Amino acid sequence: MPNNAIAVSRRVMFGFRSITLVSHATSEKFCDVTTHCWSLPYTWAIMAFASVRSSTLLGVQGKEVDVEIHVGMGLPGFTIVGQPDEACRESRDRVRAALLSCDLPWPNRRITVNLATSVHERKGGAGLDVAIAIGLLIVQDVLPNEVAERFAFIAELGLDGTLRPVAGVVPLVAAINDRSVVVAQECECEARIAARNEVVCAQTLAHLVKCLMGEAQWTPAQRRTVMDAAPPSADMKDVRGQAAARQALEIAAAGAHHLLLVGPPGAGKSMLAQRMSSILPPLSNEEAVATTIIHSAAQSPLPPTGIITVPPFRAPHHSTSLVAMVGGGASTMRPGEISLATNGVLFLDELGEFAPTVLDALRQPLEDGVVRLARAKSSVTMPAKFLLVAATNPCPCGEGMPGVCVCDDSAKKRYLRRFSGPLLDRFDLRVAVSRPHVDELLTDTPAESSQVIATRVLRVRQIAMLRSGCLNSALSADLLDEFAPLTTEAAALLRYHLERGRLSGRGYHRIRRVARTIADLMSVSDHNNLQIDESHVATALALRVGVHPQLNGDKL
Amino acid sequence: MNQEYLLAAALSAVPRLGTRRLGAMLGVQTPSHAIEMLGGEAPSQPDIELMDAKLAKGSMSVTYIGAVDYPEILLNDVARPAVLFYRGDLQVLQQRRVGIVGTRSATAAGRYMASHLAYDLSEQGVAVVSGLARGVDAWAHKGVLLALDRESVSASESHCGQPIAVVASGLDMTYPKENADLWKFVAESGLLLTESPPGTMPEAFRFPLRNRILAALCELVVVIESHAKGGSMITVEEAQRRDITVMAVPGSPRSLSSAGTNLLLQQGCAPVVDATDVMVALGLDNRRNHPQVFDSRRTPSVQDQALIAHMRGEAVTLDQLLMRTSTDLVQTALALGRLESEGWVVNNAGWWEVLGMSCE
Repeated sequence: MPNNAIAVSRRVMFGFRSITLVSHATSEKFCDVTTHCWSLPYTWAIMAFASVRSSTLLGVQGKEVDVEIHVGMGLPGFTIVGQPDEACRESRDRVRAALLSCDLPWPNRRITVNLATSVHERKGGAGLDVAIAIGLLIVQDVLPNEVAERFAFIAELGLDGTLRPVAGVVPLVAAINDRSVVVAQECECEARIAARNEVVCAQTLAHLVKCLMGEAQWTPAQRRTVMDAAPPSADMKDVRGQAAARQALEIAAAGAHHLLLVGPPGAGKSMLAQRMSSILPPLSNEEAVATTIIHSAAQSPLPPTGIITVPPFRAPHHSTSLVAMVGGGASTMRPGEISLATNGVLFLDELGEFAPTVLDALRQPLEDGVVRLARAKSSVTMPAKFLLVAATNPCPCGEGMPGVCVCDDSAKKRYLRRFSGPLLDRFDLRVAVSRPHVDELLTDTPAESSQVIATRVLRVRQIAMLRSGCLNSALSADLLDEFAPLTTEAAALLRYHLERGRLSGRGYHRIRRVARTIADLMSVSDHNNLQIDESHVATALALRVGVHPQLNGDKL
Repeated sequence: MNQEYLLAAALSAVPRLGTRRLGAMLGVQTPSHAIEMLGGEAPSQPDIELMDAKLAKGSMSVTYIGAVDYPEILLNDVARPAVLFYRGDLQVLQQRRVGIVGTRSATAAGRYMASHLAYDLSEQGVAVVSGLARGVDAWAHKGVLLALDRESVSASESHCGQPIAVVASGLDMTYPKENADLWKFVAESGLLLTESPPGTMPEAFRFPLRNRILAALCELVVVIESHAKGGSMITVEEAQRRDITVMAVPGSPRSLSSAGTNLLLQQGCAPVVDATDVMVALGLDNRRNHPQVFDSRRTPSVQDQALIAHMRGEAVTLDQLLMRTSTDLVQTALALGRLESEGWVVNNAGWWEVLGMSCE
């Protein structure tokens, strides 16, 4: 060896302790480590610091992290500081195994890794592995320091040195501002969705080093066949009968109004709700990226194209916990079901079976479109702009029809007490669904298909966006006066219901918003006449029935 | 209070002394003799004083089988109650009496029928007997309440029929709680009675016992709505045991709430469509009366009447209505809105029902 002499002297200078320490280990390891020590260039002792860019996840947002690596004198060891979580702390073992597997040098010194961000929050995830490994190689002068300035690294390391994909790669890559990003090959597609710069990928750590040195080619981008999003299998043409519920679904989709379906078991509530996403227009580009970021952050599977283009449909079971519904949990603040349903539909079947705390937690996101989670160590804001569709039985026996229902009034009241009034008030449309008649079930003529309805829905949404810049359900009270003035008859009808105490103040505005959507759906050509007339209000009222039994069924 | 009455009240509270045994004793001797006969079982002096206090507190009156004011109609009954606690005036029982009974989970149409029938009967001087339960019972007495209100003269000058209620619990144990106002109304303007001593809880077995007194007090029982089994059918059985006429209001064959009444009609019981049917059955001449049906509701248009025709008989959802009428949602919604504000139809948690029998 040409540098034998230097190596020997260096061993005398620094190597004493390390040799005694590793002598406890197996002879194989001993040999391995010492071999690398011997082959190290001399300069590494001078360049003992490196900083490599990566990112970590908090909620649905990536945050840039500078992985600072210092190798110096002292007892050989590996410490990660800067509030790492458990997965992060384990990366020292992965990084060491990967370096050794790839025949790359491991510095047998005191190694300190600091995760530096602008905020003092807990950093999680295994995505920092490669950044640490690259940092160690820069410190040891295997790689030039410029590498750290040109690239950011987001991937996990396998013990054999392969680069593995990490959860939330979309927001993680989106957080990197000013340099190219290295990711694992499997998640390249997703990584490109929100990337601001070049995205490259390598297969193993050894391959990555060669690529960075310019000695090998980056793994070429996989050309995945970009298929059109498969049309949803559930189609409205399969729905027999249910005239009122169909209309309600269309109105809900067109104006983004929350919908409650009330009906006996077997009436088709769930079936109707599952077809909701088939009549919603496809996501716009910004919506698609935003939705994909959330789904990536929550590690939920993405479509083959990597980007979500159809509105998501989330139907959590009624045993769902509060944290699973609104988000939070781990230190990374995983997005909950309401965030995953953003730009899509959140369907709560058997609304009455959900825990009351879970249901009441929906109230603030329903109003604001975001959920703000605060914990002792961190607080995040995650999007939660969803269309809520819920289904429930009208009473414990499930029948509900006066004369058939066997529940007495107090049992009904007890059952309906499960959903709070404020939550019920937020449903713009509350429709009673009954079992379809036999003739309707057996009819051959298919009903209107989802595609036809979706075009109408899209048209109304476009009209609303052009007119007021928001969907009809988001119209504020003063915008309502401007864009949905009432005729005298319509105002009289609303007054009648207000005076009877059947409408709250909130309900009054909600009825007007629904009436606006109904008017938009009904008017074929004339969009200049903004007047809401009696028929629109009457329809809105007919589609918003009181859920609580009215006991004053009499003029007395 | 007369000492004998107080002793009878105290006797009725003795445990293991049933109404039949007590009735047999009081039928032949005075309460003071009965107490002597009972010996060790007899109520102690503190018990009697406690009963006195309770009666005074609840302003309740007492009568017993041997007493002069014991109601004559109950005296020859097969299962006459030994002791009765009451508030109000026993003279109310001198009026013509019709029982209105039915299910607790009545439809809006059933509630409407109960209150309107009671209103019309009361207006023509017939007392309405009921059990003050939820549903039909309560609405029957609400009808009487309205009739008395409309007349706006003091109870003594009124020629309206007065309310009579037979309850299962003690008179100081209002059950159900939401009918507290009705209890008060019945006690003040009619007669509220029970065989249970004060402080008795509304236990389940007391309701069938209450129904026998209710049936015994009526000249005629009208069943508004009833399931195939239930309290109303027990009342009907008790009435039939006593040869009291039972009449029933017909309902949709698909409505479970009318299963009992339809069964009665099938068995040959006379149908009731309005108060006239009941008046005729009572043998009261009402030919001189002008048609008493005053409906403040505006007559619906021809189209709206057609819509009502589709809703006849049973509750329908908007879905079903759209299918039956094959009109579009907007027109139907408008029509329903009009009919609802006029009081022709009512929406109950998504189900539409027609109120009132006819709209010719």
